[in-house]
Amino acid sequence: MNSLFLILIILFGGAIVAYLANKLAPIVSSIVSFITITTAAVLFFTQVNTETIYQFTLGGIDLQWGIDYYTYIFAMIVFGLGVLASLYSIQYMQDKERLGYFNFNFVMAILGMTGIIFSQDFVSFFIFWEIMTWSSYLIVIYNGKEVRKIGIKYMIFSAIGAYAMLAAIVSIKGSFGTFIIADAINAGALSTNFYIPILLLIGFAVKAGTMPMHVWGPGAYSNSPMSFTTVFSGALSKMGILGMGIVLTALYHKAAINDMFGVMFIKQSLMWLGAITAAIATIYAVIQTDAKKLLAYSSIAQLGYITIGIATGTKLGIMAALFLAVIHGVFKGALFMVVGAVERQVGTTDMTKISGLIRKMPWTFLVALISIIALAGIPPLAGFVGKWMVYEALITETNSYFLVVVVFFASTAGFLYSYRFLFGLFLGQEEDDTAHVKEAPATMIIPMMILAVILVVIGAFPGLLIDPIANAMGVMGYTDVNFGLSTLSNVWGEQLNMQSIGMSIGIVFVVTFAFLSLKGMKGTKNVGTKDISTSGEIPYDHENMTYQLDFFKPFERALAPLYKRSMDKIWNQFGEGLEALFDFTRKFNTGNGQTYALYVVVFLVLMLLLKDTLFIN
Amino acid sequence: MEDLGIKILGAILTTIMAFAVGMTYGGITRKLTARVQNRRGPTIWQNFIDLLKLQSKKSNIAHGFMGHMAPAWIIIAAITTLMFIPVLNGNLWFPNLTFHGDLIFLLYIMVFGSLGMALGAGQTGNPNSAIGVSRGLSQMVGFEIPFVLALVGLMVQYQTTSIKDLMEVQQQTGIWIMFSNPFSFLAAILASLGMFRYSPFDIVGAPAELASGPVSEFGGKYLGTMMSGGSIFAFIKLTLFVDLFMGGAGNGSDTGIWATLLGIVILLVKTFSLYMIPVFYGWVSPRYRTEQSIQYFYRWPLALGIISVIWAVVL
Repeated sequence: MNSLFLILIILFGGAIVAYLANKLAPIVSSIVSFITITTAAVLFFTQVNTETIYQFTLGGIDLQWGIDYYTYIFAMIVFGLGVLASLYSIQYMQDKERLGYFNFNFVMAILGMTGIIFSQDFVSFFIFWEIMTWSSYLIVIYNGKEVRKIGIKYMIFSAIGAYAMLAAIVSIKGSFGTFIIADAINAGALSTNFYIPILLLIGFAVKAGTMPMHVWGPGAYSNSPMSFTTVFSGALSKMGILGMGIVLTALYHKAAINDMFGVMFIKQSLMWLGAITAAIATIYAVIQTDAKKLLAYSSIAQLGYITIGIATGTKLGIMAALFLAVIHGVFKGALFMVVGAVERQVGTTDMTKISGLIRKMPWTFLVALISIIALAGIPPLAGFVGKWMVYEALITETNSYFLVVVVFFASTAGFLYSYRFLFGLFLGQEEDDTAHVKEAPATMIIPMMILAVILVVIGAFPGLLIDPIANAMGVMGYTDVNFGLSTLSNVWGEQLNMQSIGMSIGIVFVVTFAFLSLKGMKGTKNVGTKDISTSGEIPYDHENMTYQLDFFKPFERALAPLYKRSMDKIWNQFGEGLEALFDFTRKFNTGNGQTYALYVVVFLVLMLLLKDTLFIN
Repeated sequence: MEDLGIKILGAILTTIMAFAVGMTYGGITRKLTARVQNRRGPTIWQNFIDLLKLQSKKSNIAHGFMGHMAPAWIIIAAITTLMFIPVLNGNLWFPNLTFHGDLIFLLYIMVFGSLGMALGAGQTGNPNSAIGVSRGLSQMVGFEIPFVLALVGLMVQYQTTSIKDLMEVQQQTGIWIMFSNPFSFLAAILASLGMFRYSPFDIVGAPAELASGPVSEFGGKYLGTMMSGGSIFAFIKLTLFVDLFMGGAGNGSDTGIWATLLGIVILLVKTFSLYMIPVFYGWVSPRYRTEQSIQYFYRWPLALGIISVIWAVVL
């Protein structure tokens, strides 16, 4: 049997078994889902290569599945995160209800993404896209909180995206007579009529959470169970990037010379949308008090950087985008797992209620620290490599100088929420309420630690990850991608050697750490966080003085004009407008049979009166 | 092997010099400030005396692992940054690692120390520390933007992101960048007011409100180590400005002892005059509120930064 087909069958079968196994014992359902995804991943990495292809005809439509180096990058994200998240999920979801429902949809979401990656024709692409959307929607409403507000918002935007995509696919079939993606691209389907790529981009932008289609993000990410959000933010949103990559490469490489103005327009607007997404989502992440919401906004912001990279269409830009796509999956996956661990052990993720968990959950803190350093883009970890490439691409290859500054603003303001996250959960004075808290179980810590180690290793040797990315870029039509194991360079010839940076930091670290620890070791007293100088005032024992409320109030005040308008409000107003319109139509569509009968009579009378003018012949 | 030996020796020499210069500048500033306020003031070596006192304290208080590590982060950031900044033009004694990183890297590694320090301050549990950190990070979002605009202006004008190349350009043409792109220089100088945190931008330490802010729980060896890191950082910022805008110091080809010494003297003259700008500005200014401080950078400095990029593109 063909291995691509086999993988999808295993996932589908596994989903059903996981659903049924819940009757046996809830934990079995989670274990089945872990085993299923792991089996699929093992099969994929051992059996599938770029030669593998599966063609068949369904209802007279030729369908084709396969994989190339470009989609392989995304398969790495999906399977890597899928396996770790489902392992994490076993104990995270232990005491939750309706595990069969959850695990079925979890595996189906993985199936949907795998299918999208395999699809080489638009029909199966769309079908798997819908499977992915529906299964993720069902998980978003799984815990039953604010279903109306969050679930419907997600569904409406997904539907808009899906309709846009469907319209594009139908027009491609109509004008170019093919559903096979490669054939359509070669026939110029994505580069002659601009409305087709724009419609497709709308569909993909919804999943990637690009402004102004991002409003579903914060709610949907933070409302799902964290073990799924790991996949949701880390892998599922990348499907939008996958699609954008295909569309934009075709558009940039195939468009006729006299269409260049339109291409420029799409490129610039997408880049600016990405930058604005990054900036606005960042400043909203800064003022969140719920750690989940904070990470949700941060995910949208990070996807903004990736969108910018992929929209540049330059060598370094695409490289940056693919690099960040993988790395964002890794660190954001780890961070959502951290929040999940805190939620499970403490019971809340509200940063105004918890503080000082570092002594209780040291391993979780370590993972959080490493991931946050990567997220903030501080050397020497992998996040910095991605950021560096984005900046260099923008400055040296695209002349978007002001865009660079917007990105830099977003990324500097990113330090604020990065710090807020670590401080809010792990630092500050210890709460008495959390005295009983213990470290999360090992099956939750291990997947987090694996992700953290990846960040450190890729940071020192980015070449390990750039190697498959260079192959992917070969598929996209970028040859001679220049990189070394740990050296990066831009088109102006400037170089960055991550290994010497790492070594310099390492050596100084060891020396100063030894100095600080050994010098006067006997005289060093380790005291708790309550033993502080309070300028003469004596706080009561139960008083917690940690500064948590309105942490960045001055920042909020300084940027007040930016906070005034929000896309969410604009969409809500739009929705209210529509509602008013529908209310107005209800005056005519009263639902009363007699009224409708009256309309028919009036219509007939009008017809009779105007018959001479209307029907001349 | 001999090469490596010289490099390591050079690195240590650079660090010692940066430390000594930074500490002395701090001492001189204290003295000058005192004289302006009609006080007698401490000697200009007071910072060294303070450091000696702090390092020789027998008992130290640690508030947990991150608190223990906080000074280490600062030293790591300071020395690593120093390794990537050319101190003298192409001098054999200060080669360091300049060819392995560029301006973008520099912008990020400079933040490393502040964030590590912020984490340490956060763990101490003192509310003043957390307030100080919140203010400091917010202020950073303010001054980094004009600073980056100024740097982008330079990068665009000379088509390079390496400090070394920018220095060479100035050597070859003989014109300092502060004259060839004055707007960039002005934007960067205004941004540096925030970086040095003298009045009116001393909202992080804010002695009268926050009891010295993030460092309030640190003492003894911890505070001493932080002080050393901070002094190195002062030298780094000043040298970076000299390298970028004032043509660096020393002439590249001559590596003799006298030429090197002359180079160092020139470097000291240039850095000291730059250092006096935020100090003078501080003498005549009261303290801003945090939001005022952020908004300050979004007015003239930002406008100058934008003009500098346009200037660079038009040229």
